[in-house]
Amino acid sequence: MQVVFKVQRYQPERDGQPYFQSFPLELPERATVLDGLHQIKDERDGSLSFRRSCRSAICGSCAMYINGAYHLACNTGVETLKAQEIVVSPLPHLRVIKDLIVDMQPFFEKFERALPYLMTTTPPPERERLQSPEQRRAFEEMINCIQCAACYSACPMVWTDPQYLGPAALTKVYRFVSDSRDEVGRQRLALVDNDHGVWRCHTIFNCHIACPKNINPTWSIQQLKRKTIARRLRFWERG
Amino acid sequence: MYRVRHTDLWPSHYNLGMWVWLAQRISGIVLVLYLFTHIWVISFSIANRQGQEFNQVMALFQTPLFLSLDLLLLAGVLFHALNGIRVILFDLGIGIRQQKAIFWGVLVIVSAIFAWGVSLWWPFVQGKPLV
Ligand code: HEM
Ligand code: FES
Repeated sequence: MQVVFKVQRYQPERDGQPYFQSFPLELPERATVLDGLHQIKDERDGSLSFRRSCRSAICGSCAMYINGAYHLACNTGVETLKAQEIVVSPLPHLRVIKDLIVDMQPFFEKFERALPYLMTTTPPPERERLQSPEQRRAFEEMINCIQCAACYSACPMVWTDPQYLGPAALTKVYRFVSDSRDEVGRQRLALVDNDHGVWRCHTIFNCHIACPKNINPTWSIQQLKRKTIARRLRFWERG
Repeated sequence: MYRVRHTDLWPSHYNLGMWVWLAQRISGIVLVLYLFTHIWVISFSIANRQGQEFNQVMALFQTPLFLSLDLLLLAGVLFHALNGIRVILFDLGIGIRQQKAIFWGVLVIVSAIFAWGVSLWWPFVQGKPLV
C-alpha cells in the first residue's frame, strides 16, 4: 500500500513555527498509522517524536488528530482512512513539546482534582465491598476511559476556560458518583457544582465524537448536572 | 509561543453538535442585537406624538427588503427557541444519546412553524395584511 504521510513537525529550540513534512511510504496491508510513524522513525528520520506504549489501544498514549478526526494511532488502520494522504497532527489546542508530543500536565492535574479513586467513610467489611452485576453496569461505559485526552483536546469549553475540569475528569467523577460502593457522592457533586465544573458544558458533543473508546462524556456530565441540582433541592433527589 | 493553524477549526471538520452550538450562540447574539435595535427604532419613531415618523417607519418596514428580513428573524427566533428546548432537555438528562435525531426533529418543527409563518406573511407582501 502506497501512501504519503504528512506529519506535523516542531522543535521549539529550532523552529519558529510548526510545519508539515511529507514522507511517501510503502506500507504492508493492514498497517496502522502508528506502524507508519514507526517506519518513518526507524528508516527515515530518527528524530521524529511521538508517544506510544501499549500499541493495543489501552494505554492512551497515542491519541492524535489524523485526517480531520481524533484517533488512537495504534488502532487506526491506514486503509480504513481511505485516503492517499495521511495528515498526522498532535492533539489540537494542547501545547506542543515536540512533533506529535503534547503537554499532558494540565489534563492530568485536572484528573487528579477529580479524586479518581474509590472513597469510603464506613469501616472496611470483613471481606470485600460487594456489588451486584447490575450495580456494576451503572458505570460500564465510563470505566473504559484510557485518559488519552482526545475529548479534552476536542472541547471548545476547554479551549476557552483553562480552569474547566473537562470531559474526562467529569466523566471520572460520574463514574464514582454512580458506584454503589463509593460513599462520598455528595462531596463529589459539590466539587463539580460550579462554573469550571459541570456548568461549563454546553452539550456540543465534540468529546463523544472524539472518543476512541466511544464513551459519551456529554451524557455523564448531564447526569451530574441533574444530580447537583437534586443535591441543592433535596426533595428532588432520586439517589 | 507560536500560532498553530489548528486544522480541527476548519468548518469542514466540525461535527453536527458543533454547528448547532455555533448556530445557537450566533442566533442568540443576533436576537439581542435585534431586540435593542427594535426598542431604539420604535422609541424614536413614537417620540413625536403626531405619529408622522411612526407611519414613515411602518411604511419602510412594508418594503420588500424589510419584509424579507422579517422572514430571517422568524427563522432565527424559531431555531433558537426550539433548539434551546433541545439543550434544556439535555440539561435535564433527557435525550442525550439521541442528540442528532432530536436536532433533526427540531429542524422539522422549525420548518413546519416557519411554513405557517410564511403563509401569514405572504398577504403583507401582496399589500393586504389579514388585519
Ligand atoms: C423561547 C425562547 C428561548 C429559548 C427556549 C432559549 C434558550 C436558550 C438556551 C437553552 C441557551 C443556552 C445555549 C447553550 O448552553 O449553549 C440560550 C442561549 C442564548 N440565548 Fe436564548 N432562548 C430563547 C430566546 C432568546 C432570545 C429572545 C434572546 C435574545 C434577545 C436570546 C439570547 C440568547 C443568547 C445571547 C444566548 C447565549 C448564547 C450561548 O450561550 O451560546 N434567547 N438560549
Ligand atoms: S499506544 Fe497505547 S493506546 Fe495507542
